[in-house]
Amino acid sequence: MTTLYSPPRLAPFGLLLAATLLGGCLTTELSSSWLVDRLRILAVRPEPAEPSPGDTVSFEALVVSPDAELELVLWIGCLADAAGVLGCELDMDLLGELEGLDPESLTPEELAELYQELQDVGLIGAEPYLPPSYSVPDDLLDGLSEEEQREGLSLFVQITAMPQGATDEDDFELAYKRVPVSMASTPNHNPQIRALLFDGVELEPDTVVEVDAGQSYELEPVLADDAVEIYEYWSESGEVEERVEEPYYSFFVQEGSIDIPFALHPYGEFSWTAPGEPSDQERSIWIIVQDRRGGMSWWSQRVLVDG
Amino acid sequence: MRILPLLLLPLAWAPAALAKGDAPEPPVEQEPPPLLADPQLLDFVQAPYPPQAREQGIEGTVLLIIEIDEQGQVVYAELAEPAGHGFDEAAMEAVQQFTFSPALDSEGPVPVIIEFAYGFVLDVDEHEGALADEQALEDSPVELPVNLEGQLVEMGTRRSLPDFPVLLTELELQTTTDAEGWFRFRGVPAGTHAFRAALTGFDAVERQVEVAQGEITTLKLWVRNQSYREDELVGVYRREKEEVTRRTLSVQEVRRVPGTFGDPVRVIQSLPGAARSPFSTGVLIIRGSNPEDSAVYVDGIRIPLIYHLDGIRSVINSNLIESVDYLPGGYGVRYGRSLGGAIDVRTKHSYPEEGHELRWTTDVLHSGGLLMGRLGERPDKQWGYALGARRSYIDLIIPLFTKDSGFVIKPRWFDYQLKADRIELPRGGRFGVFVFGFQDILRVGTPDDVAQGTDQDTQGDVDVLYSTHRVLVDWERRLSEDLSLHFTPSLGVDINSGNLGADLSGGQRTWLLELRAELPWEPSEHLTITPGTDVIAGPWDFEISLPFNPELAASYDPIGEREPWSLEDRGWAWGPDVYVDADIRPLADAERLLIVPGARWTYVAVPGEFKGWDLDPRLALRWLPWETTVLKGSAGVYHQPPMPFELYRPDDQFIEADFERATSFTVGWEQAAGQAWNGDLELFYKDLDRLLVAYEEFDSLDDPYFQNTGVGRIYGLEVMVKREPVDRFFGWVSYTLSKSERNDDLEGGDDWYAFDYDQTHIFVLVGGVQLPYDFELSTRVQYVSGNPWTPYAGGIYDIDQGYYWSYSTAAYNSERLPDYFATDVRIEKLFTFRRWQLATYVDLLNVIRGVNPEFVLYNYDYTEWAYVRGLPFIPNLGFDANLRF
Repeated sequence: MTTLYSPPRLAPFGLLLAATLLGGCLTTELSSSWLVDRLRILAVRPEPAEPSPGDTVSFEALVVSPDAELELVLWIGCLADAAGVLGCELDMDLLGELEGLDPESLTPEELAELYQELQDVGLIGAEPYLPPSYSVPDDLLDGLSEEEQREGLSLFVQITAMPQGATDEDDFELAYKRVPVSMASTPNHNPQIRALLFDGVELEPDTVVEVDAGQSYELEPVLADDAVEIYEYWSESGEVEERVEEPYYSFFVQEGSIDIPFALHPYGEFSWTAPGEPSDQERSIWIIVQDRRGGMSWWSQRVLVDG
Repeated sequence: MRILPLLLLPLAWAPAALAKGDAPEPPVEQEPPPLLADPQLLDFVQAPYPPQAREQGIEGTVLLIIEIDEQGQVVYAELAEPAGHGFDEAAMEAVQQFTFSPALDSEGPVPVIIEFAYGFVLDVDEHEGALADEQALEDSPVELPVNLEGQLVEMGTRRSLPDFPVLLTELELQTTTDAEGWFRFRGVPAGTHAFRAALTGFDAVERQVEVAQGEITTLKLWVRNQSYREDELVGVYRREKEEVTRRTLSVQEVRRVPGTFGDPVRVIQSLPGAARSPFSTGVLIIRGSNPEDSAVYVDGIRIPLIYHLDGIRSVINSNLIESVDYLPGGYGVRYGRSLGGAIDVRTKHSYPEEGHELRWTTDVLHSGGLLMGRLGERPDKQWGYALGARRSYIDLIIPLFTKDSGFVIKPRWFDYQLKADRIELPRGGRFGVFVFGFQDILRVGTPDDVAQGTDQDTQGDVDVLYSTHRVLVDWERRLSEDLSLHFTPSLGVDINSGNLGADLSGGQRTWLLELRAELPWEPSEHLTITPGTDVIAGPWDFEISLPFNPELAASYDPIGEREPWSLEDRGWAWGPDVYVDADIRPLADAERLLIVPGARWTYVAVPGEFKGWDLDPRLALRWLPWETTVLKGSAGVYHQPPMPFELYRPDDQFIEADFERATSFTVGWEQAAGQAWNGDLELFYKDLDRLLVAYEEFDSLDDPYFQNTGVGRIYGLEVMVKREPVDRFFGWVSYTLSKSERNDDLEGGDDWYAFDYDQTHIFVLVGGVQLPYDFELSTRVQYVSGNPWTPYAGGIYDIDQGYYWSYSTAAYNSERLPDYFATDVRIEKLFTFRRWQLATYVDLLNVIRGVNPEFVLYNYDYTEWAYVRGLPFIPNLGFDANLRF
């Protein structure tokens, strides 16, 4: 469009430049997203990553809570079209009814009835009592064209993590994730991190690494061979394209510091500096990989900081 | 015979009351204010040459002390050094009939006492005749030849000094320089003579001059001005005569205001009505208006930006700027298509009378030069020219600090100006061509192995380019006694583009034909009618490439497959505004009352997309009930067409939108107190309606993006008390009390909120002083209320994007940042050499500052926040060289 009689909105560029250059001039240090010092929901892995109608999807969440035990993780599901700005609409009256309810006091029949009632209003899980899962209706994609069925719809999953003793909604951690439901010819799979290179040493899952306080280490995730998928995409003009996934990593640590919070595959190497003080408590490093199609998984690495 | 008054005046001066013997003793501690203008002799009375002295060939000089009153009349005279031979009586009688211009100090005319040397000199032929017997120079019946001559030239500026008294003191011979600065003495005896050239405001030149028998001695004498800066008393900030408010700043003041980097345009931000911009950038926030609602012009032609993208420098070379019209509101019909203020930068039409002038400026951020002069031998066919260029070089400095990081950060700008003015047209008027332009580039290169985020579409290098170029013709001609034509067509192009990585890019180009023409008709001193037109038209084209389809933005899915999308479009738009106003001066004393009614018809059409028009009636009034008092007021309607981005529809549908509208009222009072002090108080109220705001129900591209449902109100007062730079001091105090509110709901109600840049109190103190040895010291103190901001209650984590979406439970802009406080200091030293001058300066920004938050920054999940502080202490060192050759 023309700037015939009005100036362009370029002032923000100058402000952006100034703000960038002066970004460090804060009156108070703000916490960094990669440092997990509070209750966080870091990742959610649906299985399968891209279900079809009739499939049952199970979910696993990477919920970390360094300070407090978790009391409850609520899972709510809805179709994306039905979601509001902040996710699925939550029936607060139902939540009120659940307050004070002791599931262990219920009979299996009562529990099943409650579960069905909750499912009817969108609750698909309540950990640790009900593992989250969602049965995709058989007729979900009925009525859509073939192209639309290949493209699919998004299921919206909202997770609310409540720590023990929480009295205020501000203490809850809220997150949401989309799960594509489609009839794709090459449905997505969650990418897997096969191993972690820790200063060049390949680690197996569930190992604990002893590190020196204040020492820096180079870490790099190693993806499984089939992690980067080639899949088919139908363009708007109806032509089939072969596309290659472009995964990226997010890094989180419980203590210490890292040099970059995320990286694009295959540049997944990052540096972690262990905390300066030794501790007999295990600490964790989390590496999350996402394939940009809704698939994700993670690697949790425990470390013990020696003197 | 002639009588030569030796105007060795004023050898000394003093207020009359202090010098008269019968006056009471003045209080010792009360020093009189400095004199701003010496008395100048207007009517010289020739004393009769005493016959006896003439017969004897005697010359003499009588030194008198005379008192001059506030009217310039000589009210008292006495002999200080009698000369006898009848000279004393003749001189006493003559000087008491003199008339002077009164001496002036900061309060106005004052009585003074001066010493006055009245010289009686025989004409050369008479003088020679008187000496003939003694020297037997029978062969000199006519004028003796010139054997001592010379030229007086001002140091630094190479300006010739006319009417400069020159004296051979021992011979008591005196003359004055001619228009070219030359002086000539005839028949100076061979030998060494004491020479003196002295005039108030200049350092006296005294030397021994050797005159050889039979030779002509030629001198070139450099004279140092005691205050070069006083030559620069050119109005920089002025307003059109019909505007409501007149505020004038001089170049001298402008250059001395700290924190402006010597840029005249930036001084606006220290004036009433101008809000403080974030990070001291050049965002124009005038009387609570949106920055996009204020218009900027160069010589009456609208340009898109007045500052380079760094926000520090204006896009026109500072040394080429003659004046800046700063119109915060209540302005006339000459300016339109904007709801906010208007700024018109006027470039120089005056060029050095002699030779050429080169101005070179260098500071830590940029360098630039401007060459000005005249071409052509004949005065009536001379052209004035100006060639200027500047470039920033921060792009050369940053790599020194980032070379190991792999990042490439290159912000860079340049601008250029070429100007040619016919000094004098054969039938009067003026013709000139002005070519100017600028380009700003920001390039940020990122190494391949560095991710800039989690989104694959925001990876890669960033490039932003903006450039504007204009060719402007300025033709002014008097058609008859009472009718003249001012015609200013221009052609230009605006280009901007940007890209982020390989998949996201956009570019736009607009060719612009702009035309401003005015035909002022002045049938009498009581009436001037000025019809005019302000046309803007041209074709545009743009292209956008995105890695996703924006038409799906409403149902954005970060894990959905994306398909590259691009759009190209072209079209044209035009707006042939016409206006007319009348300067009506109904009183016998035409200066006492000015009434300016006017109307402007604004029309904008984008064929196939938008068409609209509206009428802006405006009225301004200035009344001088007393010589030193002005009462003023204005009322007017201002319309602004929708912004281009508010009009665009990819489906080529016709846009139903109205012009935004402002109705403005101002009343004010100006008061002068002597020559040095003046004050200005103005109350303003502006009602805004039909503001375009985001369409609340927007759901798909079939819906409009914007709707004319916003309203607003801006009101407050501005005060300015100013001391003019009539002596060593200058400065002003500016205070603005204002409120700027918006309501996006057409129904009004209680949803009023403070506008983003609403600043309740804006206080600016500027002061400067000239120190001895051409040092200058100036300071600026700013105190401004903090900007409003909106607090967030928390965030919800979008796992697919790795990003927290904020939510707020508070009202928009319900909080306010802490107040802003900062002090800037500038120290300048001017060096004057024979052929050039060098001003060196240190601009110290934020010498004293408060916390000065500019923004609130939240952490990743919106549970913590902190202030982003404003600019730190910044020293800027630079120099400005002025060379004449």
